[in-house]
Amino acid sequence: MASLPSAVPSHPVVFTTQTPYTLPSQKFMIPLDWKRYQLSQLINKALDLPKPIPFDFLVHGEILRTSLLEWRTEKGVGEEDTLEIEYFESVMPPQRMSELPHEDWVSSVSCRIPQHFVTASYDGHLRLFDYSQNLVLDASVHQSPITSVCIVPSPPSDTESRILASSSHDLTACLTRVYLDSETPTASTVASLHLHTSPLSSISTDASGSHLLTSSWDGLIGVWDTSIPDDHQVNLERGDDRKKRRKTAPANIKRKAPIAVLKSHTARVSKAIFAAGEPAKGKAYSCGFDSTVRTWDVESGVCMNTINVPERPMLDLTETPDGNVLLAASTDRTVSIFDLRVSSLSSSTGVMMHPTTPSCIATSESGKNQVVTGSYDGVARLWDLRSTKGAVTSFRVWDGMKVLAVDWVGDVVGIGGEGGMEVWRIAGGS
Amino acid sequence: MAVTGLGKVRNKRKQEEVEEVEKGPFAGAVDLEMHSEDEAEDEDREGDDASDDGDVDEFPEIDAASDSDEESDEEGEEEDADDLDEEDTLDENSDADSDLHIFPKSKKVVSNITGQTKVVYPEIEPDYDSDSSTEDDPNRVGNIPMHWYDDLPHLGYNINGKRVLRPAKGDELDRFLQTVEDPNSWTTAFDKNTQMDKPLSAEELDIIRRLQAGENPDAEYDPYEPTIEWFTGKGKEEVMPLSSAPEPKRRWLPSKWEKQKIMKIVRAIRQGRIVGSKPTAADKKQQFYAIWNEPPSNQPPPLPAPKPKLPTNSESYNPPEEYLPTEEERKQWENTDFEDRERDYLPHKYPALRLVPAYDQFIKQRFNRQLDLYLAPRIQRVKLNVDPNSLLPKLPSPNSLRPFPNYKSLQFVHTKARVRCLSISPDGAWVASGDESGVISLWEVNVGREVKRWNLGSKVGAIEWCPRLDACFLVAGTEERLHFFIPPNISPAMLTTTQSILAPATLPPTTQSSIKWISTSGAAEDGPILTIELPSASGLSRQLTWHRKGDYLASVSSSETQGSVWMHQISRRHSQAPFKKIKGAVQMVLFHPTKPHFFVATQRYVRLYNLAEQKLLKTLMPGIKWISSMDVHPSGDHIIVGGYDRKLCWFDLELSEKPYKVIRYHSRAIRSLHFHPTYPLFASSSDDGSIQIFHARVYSDLMTDPLIVPLKILRGHDVQEGLGVLQIKWVNKQPWLVSAGADGNVSLWCS
Repeated sequence: MASLPSAVPSHPVVFTTQTPYTLPSQKFMIPLDWKRYQLSQLINKALDLPKPIPFDFLVHGEILRTSLLEWRTEKGVGEEDTLEIEYFESVMPPQRMSELPHEDWVSSVSCRIPQHFVTASYDGHLRLFDYSQNLVLDASVHQSPITSVCIVPSPPSDTESRILASSSHDLTACLTRVYLDSETPTASTVASLHLHTSPLSSISTDASGSHLLTSSWDGLIGVWDTSIPDDHQVNLERGDDRKKRRKTAPANIKRKAPIAVLKSHTARVSKAIFAAGEPAKGKAYSCGFDSTVRTWDVESGVCMNTINVPERPMLDLTETPDGNVLLAASTDRTVSIFDLRVSSLSSSTGVMMHPTTPSCIATSESGKNQVVTGSYDGVARLWDLRSTKGAVTSFRVWDGMKVLAVDWVGDVVGIGGEGGMEVWRIAGGS
Repeated sequence: MAVTGLGKVRNKRKQEEVEEVEKGPFAGAVDLEMHSEDEAEDEDREGDDASDDGDVDEFPEIDAASDSDEESDEEGEEEDADDLDEEDTLDENSDADSDLHIFPKSKKVVSNITGQTKVVYPEIEPDYDSDSSTEDDPNRVGNIPMHWYDDLPHLGYNINGKRVLRPAKGDELDRFLQTVEDPNSWTTAFDKNTQMDKPLSAEELDIIRRLQAGENPDAEYDPYEPTIEWFTGKGKEEVMPLSSAPEPKRRWLPSKWEKQKIMKIVRAIRQGRIVGSKPTAADKKQQFYAIWNEPPSNQPPPLPAPKPKLPTNSESYNPPEEYLPTEEERKQWENTDFEDRERDYLPHKYPALRLVPAYDQFIKQRFNRQLDLYLAPRIQRVKLNVDPNSLLPKLPSPNSLRPFPNYKSLQFVHTKARVRCLSISPDGAWVASGDESGVISLWEVNVGREVKRWNLGSKVGAIEWCPRLDACFLVAGTEERLHFFIPPNISPAMLTTTQSILAPATLPPTTQSSIKWISTSGAAEDGPILTIELPSASGLSRQLTWHRKGDYLASVSSSETQGSVWMHQISRRHSQAPFKKIKGAVQMVLFHPTKPHFFVATQRYVRLYNLAEQKLLKTLMPGIKWISSMDVHPSGDHIIVGGYDRKLCWFDLELSEKPYKVIRYHSRAIRSLHFHPTYPLFASSSDDGSIQIFHARVYSDLMTDPLIVPLKILRGHDVQEGLGVLQIKWVNKQPWLVSAGADGNVSLWCS
């Protein structure tokens, strides 16, 4: 297999991979008219795989989409240079698994409860669906639209109940305990978080489930613990109009106060997340409409670093599972990439251009270099961070309806937006 | 008159000949430019002459011209005849030579056919004697030095090419004998051509005699010719009129016109309107005086004329080599225009001074001196060397002026009716849009999700959010009513403040006004918390505007009466009409952002009032047929005014009452204008369905003009029933624009 007898000129190539399907390190002479398909066949044949696996190929940080000759002439690479081609299992076209229609817009979805989907909707309800598209639970938590929901990881001993944290336009966030084990799952709101004076934009939790971060339009970030207090920590506000609403709310909702407030943003904070990974413990990131991404030391409540990207008001922020890269979606139709490994980072290290406003980003544990973004044109796109020129694949969820939330766990991508929620399956990926 | 005309023609022709002759030698070397102006002058002069001729025609008693005509004798008539025949000037020369009688004398005969006199020349008989040149000597060598033939046996050649032999010539003795023998020998002279003595003719002898006597050699010359009376004396008077027309009456009647003119002057003198000039002092002064009697003045003497520059080496006829131009320099010098040359000569090397040719620029130089005398510029620049691109204004590229909105991020749809108005909350988070079916929707700027809807049941004409930061509410204007709404989900403290502003527990003392303020405290969630009822028949409230402190609200209704503008004070719950009488229908009102000034736009004019002093400060004249919209720059020194006739006027309030700039770029009427509160941007929307974004930078330096750069045309709204984008508003703190269209869509445009 060292070289193929062919009239077509060939090029020396070395294959590398991070998948379990490794070739012996050896130089191949590849005919220049080969494309992805032939290369994939070559690897399948060389490894003698029982079931053919399609592969995608990365050359110089770019996914190979043309023949090698065209690629070489476009890049101006010399004929003698040995190319290093990395291959990974190619992403199969995503398939729509199920649709979960909602009456109102879905602002946030989560797939973190096994075998279940959680959606938060603009009518103030949290809904729990199982994989067979049945509505398991419908809890009216807020009077106002819910903007975001997250599932607080519970200690392993506690298997029958989960805590959902939801943030809302009504200036509070709520912790709702959901009991899944019983025949009919029940939910009860156990605590409300009182700090903000403007609608909340997001809520997120850390990996251990001990702390929460809320971000709000008033420029503040609240840090909370997840313990349920025995008594109210915040007094009821006066105001006759408020009183009426309080009366309807059950008395067992405990009002919690934040353990710290992070103040530095000059405009609306759109997302605040805890840093992933062990070395970055106690750190948090936030982004906002003041076009900054800030790094916080949560313990001391100090802003450690500010990355200012001029004129890029940000809508969503996420971090890759290995904690190396931050991604922020902004209203100028870009998703900025911040490589945290670069010391003294002052600007974005790359952008992913979208045709419309990207509204949400999701990463998954399984796909280390891949992200899913949803945008206002109703299309979700799968990107590879190594090749940011174009999306790897895109899937049209709704026509002309906005995608507002994505979540990606395993090979399941939950997409929420104007048309309810849809579940798609992405197979493969490195 | 025809004869005088001919005479003129002849004179002119002679002039031309002279000019031609003068030009002849210089024709190659001189390149004079005759400017068209001079020619025109010449023509004018000729035209004047012609008109003079006409005058002469009218007054034949002034007969200087005809005298000059009489001057020309027969010979002159001949010449005239020649001129008529368009013959060459050579004939004139031959006429001038006619005194020498080379040709036979002519006779004047009365023609049998025409009855005119004509000149008849005697017939020439072509016999042997008719031409004296034929009997000439046989030697045909011509006028050459005859000593060339000294050593030869012959003298030359005859007409047939045969040799003419030298005649036999005796020696000195023979010659002497010949003089003795021949009695005529003393009247002979040696003829070189024939190399022999020839006897002189009687005429030649006569000439010799006359010369000896000191007389005129011409025998025919008579120094004592009798005087010929050409012009005077009996029979020489002008008796013939030039035309047979009867003498016109005006010739002998005194001119009425002149009389009128004179009488006018006489009357003016009598009435003292014309005063004769008094004898000046200079006249009275002694005319002659001794110039040396006065001491010399101590004035500085007049400046001497500037010295001409000394010639340099390069002007020498034999300059050193380094001064000589190379071939390229020479070519370049020749290719440049005359007025662009650095120096007006090229150094040239001549081996000797005698080889230096005549100065070829002589005529040119004289001509230039003439131009100096006429005070005319020596150089006339015909074209300007201006790069047309340099005349275009230097505008920075739009990419350097980011951010500005350039794409439609999301769209909010009012399904029922066209959206007339929208307003954005001061924190830039919420949009309230009202449509013609009476629905006001409150939605998030960034998600576009409606969170609250109020249904008023009647057309919503205007919505404005209160600019106060400690309270949060919005006003919507409908038919004869203003409704105040509190949006949901505001913090309790803010809600309390807002409620105390709009529905206070203790109402302030009611004032005398025809306007009712109705507060509905309590269930303010679903309906308006406060309603102001404007007087009936005031129509739809077309526009609302807040004072920056959020206490005063001005409303404009669509009725044409004086009750269309109202000023509402929220804290006193009082409304008043600021104007007793307004000329024209008020289109829009605006508060000045910093001063207590108030802009009122009527149909044609924008007036600026000082509210504190209650007087009119300024009337701006945009020159627009019908003003549709205006906005004040956040600095307060500039306003823009848009009209239904597609024009947009930019006013600098410090500068003038006329617009600083008038721009017309929309293809249909302008509907709405808005300055961004913080970014240097403004936008205009139009009935053509487009929104145009401009960069408008205003400098605090008064000397620098505002910079207006067109940035982007946003399209996306449909035109329905001739209406396009009805209102646009910028989002505070962000370079985003929200636009409401007649197609029921409200769009957010992001950068």
